[in-house]
Amino acid sequence: MSAPDLLFYLFAGLTLLSALLVVANPFSRNPVTSAMFLVLTMVFLSGLFVLLHAFFLAAVQILVYAGAVMVLFLFVIMLLDVKEEERRRIKAFSLGLGATGVGGLFLLIVISIFKGESGAGGYPRIEGSTFELGRLLFTNYLLPFEIVSVLLLVAMVGAILLSKKDLK
Amino acid sequence: MNTSLISLELAVVGLGLAFLLLDLWTPAELKRQLGHAAAVCTALLFVFSFFVDASYVREAFASAYVMDPLAIYFKRFFLLAGTIVLVLQVQYADRIKSGISEYYSLTLFALAGMMFTASAMNFAVMFASLELVTITLYVLTSFQRNRLESLEAGVKYLIMGGLASALMVFGIAFVYGSAGSFVFIDIYEKSSTLIGNSVFLIGLLLVLVGLAFKIAAFPYQIWAPDVYQGSPAPTTALLAVGSKAAGIVLLLRIIYGVAPGVMHQWAPVLIAISAISILYGNLCAIAQTSLKRLFGYSSIAHAGYLLLGLAALNATGASAVLYYLTGYLFTVLAGFAVLVVALQQLDSDDLSGLAGLNERSPLLATAMTMSMVSLAGIPPLAGFFGKFLLFKAALEEGAMQPAFYWLVAVAIVGVVISIWYYFNVIRAIYWPRQKADLTPITVPLPIKATLALCMAGMLFLGIFPSIPLELTSRAAAVLPWLH
Repeated sequence: MSAPDLLFYLFAGLTLLSALLVVANPFSRNPVTSAMFLVLTMVFLSGLFVLLHAFFLAAVQILVYAGAVMVLFLFVIMLLDVKEEERRRIKAFSLGLGATGVGGLFLLIVISIFKGESGAGGYPRIEGSTFELGRLLFTNYLLPFEIVSVLLLVAMVGAILLSKKDLK
Repeated sequence: MNTSLISLELAVVGLGLAFLLLDLWTPAELKRQLGHAAAVCTALLFVFSFFVDASYVREAFASAYVMDPLAIYFKRFFLLAGTIVLVLQVQYADRIKSGISEYYSLTLFALAGMMFTASAMNFAVMFASLELVTITLYVLTSFQRNRLESLEAGVKYLIMGGLASALMVFGIAFVYGSAGSFVFIDIYEKSSTLIGNSVFLIGLLLVLVGLAFKIAAFPYQIWAPDVYQGSPAPTTALLAVGSKAAGIVLLLRIIYGVAPGVMHQWAPVLIAISAISILYGNLCAIAQTSLKRLFGYSSIAHAGYLLLGLAALNATGASAVLYYLTGYLFTVLAGFAVLVVALQQLDSDDLSGLAGLNERSPLLATAMTMSMVSLAGIPPLAGFFGKFLLFKAALEEGAMQPAFYWLVAVAIVGVVISIWYYFNVIRAIYWPRQKADLTPITVPLPIKATLALCMAGMLFLGIFPSIPLELTSRAAAVLPWLH
């Protein structure tokens, strides 16, 4: 096993572990702890991007997600003064149903990945360079890019409408 | 790159921005009327769309966006639906406590998203435009913040929609990984080599799961009744017609234009989903007393009927799906227009609120009756001919795949069941259980015009099918599988 392989398994395992701790932390129900584990998830995920030679994405992942977005998350959690979540009782039936669904999907995906031909798809078009990525984003992928900008406007208007104090 | 192709969408986005700003300078008492202005603008765009040349296929953004007869058909569909929904929103305005102009402009943004889906020819555009529609609808469903049901509907839709989007992105990643392209037509050309690649298949399956959520087909139908019931009525109308049609146009593009060979193999799965949706929707609708909830269950059943045409994978099926959707637009929007006006004074949408409607306003009673009759699929209205075409498409395939005979049998059973609960609505109007208050309802002029348009549409599609049928078959003919 070469060093990149080893690093891949390391980062992938750590990403999964910290993602699990975001939603199901047995030691703490504090939202701030969850948010900090989300930061860790983002950091490890950017490690996976580096291994894929997507250096720009890795940098953006750290700068934007682990940095800016998570700071906002923490602001919101602290401003709203979210208390520790109570443990909710989940019915055995819904737990069983959910576990069957998730387990079935997981099995299906694992089986298809092992049965499928690996690397049958495309080759890397651009190797991590910001210049190429930017050119692609503003030529071939300009339309989805602009649609997303409208989407962000909608999200902003919606968030203001739904959180406004007075209903007038 | 020809950006003039996206002029219709650009105009709608521009309108949305304009109405967002107009709110600043409009006096409070006139704000409600902004909706009529918006409806007039979208109606003008609908007329303008007939001057857009879409007789041949034109592409933009490196084959990511296409302007062809199918795309323009759906753009007109969405513009018409958007216009009617805006008129309904004006009528509904007094029940929206804050931000009525935002209600209009968010609807316009959702409309723009739907129009982009009609032209999406790669997975990136498809996902971005679908998210634009869905995220706008999250806000629109929870717009009545003073009502707990509306907030509940918003949260339910948000969680379910988020899950569906996540699965879809996951699927797109698998498809890209195995096919090496986002563009539908590239994958179509390679699809014969991909048919045995299980990574490609699981990706495609997950994409279909995301779209099945949008049209509320069987295993992803659970959100529909609750969200339909809780949202403000015009939003429900937009969900029922617009969101469903956006899912259908993408299903058409993917089933007929990405990997038809795979879909041919998967026909039994599509048949099963279609049959279960039809039975589930129709059986659950029987017990409903809430009108919007009834529409929710009936929308699941109609998703089943539409899937029947999609599963058939032939020219008749694709064109029948378009025909059926168009009939569905007039039928459902007529129903919602009556619902918005007739139940204005009441807080609930219980069937008993319709009691004596024939004496309070004969026009509303007629429109509601026609809508129910058409939904049930009784001649001579649009619903009958649409179902007839769908069944015909399935029967054509029956010789090769006998399961289609069973599917048509199940669908006919579903239609018979549905007659029961649709006529229950009609009974609630003409033969109410308890004494109703019989104060006449004055129907405002824009609603009268809307109802007249919808009733004319239902009659026209039911009685003169040849003209619209030519349009739908020409639109469906651009799908690669049908060349």
